[in-house]
Amino acid sequence: MSVRLEGPIIILEGVCRVEDAEPLLRWLQADPGRTVDLSGADHLHASVLQVLMALRPALKGSPRDPFIRDWVVSALADPRLIGMAPQRA
Amino acid sequence: MDDLLQHFIVEARELTQQATDDLLALERDPDQAASMDSAFRAVHTLKGSVGLFDFAPMGLALHAAEDLLGALKERRVRTDNIVIDTLLECIGQTERWVGAIERMGQLPPDAAEEGYRLARVLREQADDGSSATSQTDPQVDLSWAEELVQSIDPAVVKGSAKHLVAIRYTPRADCFFAGDDPVALLRAVPDLMAVHLFNRDPWPPATEIDPFACNLKIEAISGAGLDAVKAVFRFVPDQVAIHEIAQSSGRSAHVAAANHGEHRGGDAVGGPRMLRVDATRIDRMADLVGEMVVAKNALAHLAGQAKDGMDAKSLSQGLLASQAAIDRLVVEMHRAVMDVRMMPMRDLFRRFPRAVRDIAGQLGKSVDLSIEGEEVEADKAVVEGLFEPLLHVLRNAIDHGAEPEQARLNSGKPSRTRILLRAQREGERVVVDVQDDGRGIDATAVRRVARERALMPEDELARMSDADAVELIFAPGFSTASAVTDLSGRGVGMDAVRSAVEKLGGQASVHTLTGQGTTIRLSLPLTLVMARVMAVRIGGELYGIPLDGVVETAFIPAARVIPVRDAEAFVLRDRTLPLVRLADLLEIPRPLELSQQGLKVVIMAVGDDLVGIAVDGFAERMDVLMRPMSGILAGMPGVMGTTLLGDGSVLMILDIPELIG
Repeated sequence: MSVRLEGPIIILEGVCRVEDAEPLLRWLQADPGRTVDLSGADHLHASVLQVLMALRPALKGSPRDPFIRDWVVSALADPRLIGMAPQRA
Repeated sequence: MDDLLQHFIVEARELTQQATDDLLALERDPDQAASMDSAFRAVHTLKGSVGLFDFAPMGLALHAAEDLLGALKERRVRTDNIVIDTLLECIGQTERWVGAIERMGQLPPDAAEEGYRLARVLREQADDGSSATSQTDPQVDLSWAEELVQSIDPAVVKGSAKHLVAIRYTPRADCFFAGDDPVALLRAVPDLMAVHLFNRDPWPPATEIDPFACNLKIEAISGAGLDAVKAVFRFVPDQVAIHEIAQSSGRSAHVAAANHGEHRGGDAVGGPRMLRVDATRIDRMADLVGEMVVAKNALAHLAGQAKDGMDAKSLSQGLLASQAAIDRLVVEMHRAVMDVRMMPMRDLFRRFPRAVRDIAGQLGKSVDLSIEGEEVEADKAVVEGLFEPLLHVLRNAIDHGAEPEQARLNSGKPSRTRILLRAQREGERVVVDVQDDGRGIDATAVRRVARERALMPEDELARMSDADAVELIFAPGFSTASAVTDLSGRGVGMDAVRSAVEKLGGQASVHTLTGQGTTIRLSLPLTLVMARVMAVRIGGELYGIPLDGVVETAFIPAARVIPVRDAEAFVLRDRTLPLVRLADLLEIPRPLELSQQGLKVVIMAVGDDLVGIAVDGFAERMDVLMRPMSGILAGMPGVMGTTLLGDGSVLMILDIPELIG
């Protein structure tokens, strides 16, 4: 498992795979205030990425993988994504 | 059935209709951007709604249709008849599925297989096109790519190759299950210069997000060559658009074109939705309700005064005034409600171009259908009840009326058969014509068939005028098809058309000219619900006769009644009309003493003939809300319906033609 919960922080580490999306989603649904720590992430599967896009949690740490850092995380910060956030049920 | 599903069914019907209209428009003119956008939007919305339910095969097929339309929109695939056919097939299947869902609440068992098949066929079309079309098609809308390029640090761009490659990757929703990781693919793209991430569809509420349904759209710019980028996406060619773009060329032109497109798209969104009632009609009703409240208050005030010992004269005056006011309001309210029930023929007519195209295709005929009078309105029940009969009439026109192209050319006609579907308002009726310029109906052939099938006695047949003989196509058991085709041979002939139309209170007639074409005319009442009846007295009872069949009333002196064998007739203005006694029809004993002086007779049109109906007395004419017979009385012959009279008694409304039988 490359996703784990430590107190108010969800840590994504190493290569995050498709199966990591589900626990990440559950934890963020349970408490949208949780922060996601990406500093140890080497890869984010698209399913994990879209959970981050949909729920827009606070992010922490700069991933050590240059592709994820330069393209994926910076694209997540794109202001145009704001406003596409889901309506809260 | 739950509300959501019902709503879905209504919406799905409208969207499939919209998509069909647009696809047919595209078939005529593939360059119509508005129809393309509209079709795409309809399919996209439909796919979205399907996702709310457990109709996966339908979603799969529609998703593939959406992708194909997207490819057409971006001109990655050429819009030709094969593509349109495939899309129409998908939409047609969707319509059938919606029908099944309405009946059974779920998709039929074979839906999974059919859904996969459709999706596969649609994806094949999308793939064929994408490999066939040029990647540098100047028509492609690349505004998104321009935007991306602009976001790149100019210093980075300068150092790289002259050409950039723009990538728009929209992974399929089920791509995770196929083992795809779009982020990994993106990582494999060499020399990335810009990346934008989007959600393809709006995110659902946070609690309903499905992490395993991919909802991403990725746009990127690469400085590597076209081939290098294509190699990365070689396994997902149907999900990606790759364009080579020249740097800073024609930027403003592209952007302008894109804005234009967006704008037009915006207009098309305001299409029809579930509520089809003109808002002014609702406002009118609200006003009337307001007035009714005032009238009610006035009555309450009057009641209070009466309690306090008002004198009888003032009270009756007040009551009369109040009654008059309420009377007027009820009439207006009724009219307003009827107005809400009125719907334009458009909703009915727009279903036919597709049907005509399919039928003509199956029969190998070429047909041009034109439609007039879409704006003519009639009661909802009338408009909706006309679909089946009109479809059958159109089918007949194509099957029997339309000649083969060569035969048409030989007789100096245009090669394509013209069929006109037209609605017109004529007084209190709406007339719908289906007019073709085909071969016409051959009265001799009709006579022969009628003779073969013994539809009527030989001598009567011989005496008939040609026009009357042609009317026999409406007789039960008649069908002119020498070879029973797949379409016409469903065991329903024109007699089914006539009976369906008569059930709606209408009539069907035919007019034909050999070699020049046939017109089938369906004439219907504008409203079903409100009927004008004439009340007549038989014995001590009142009965209603629909006024639209009544020609006149007459008083016939007993001496003018001529016995004809065991029946009776009378002469009215030099015409001899059969006389039928309503008491006999209803099997009520005749009051003998009255007939000594003369008879009160209602002259009615039954089919094309006039008939005198003898009654004991005429009562008033009235507008009534007719309720059709229901339950165990539904099958009662000779009675159209009932209505409640002011004194609380029930008036039966008679179906005289049926009683005469």
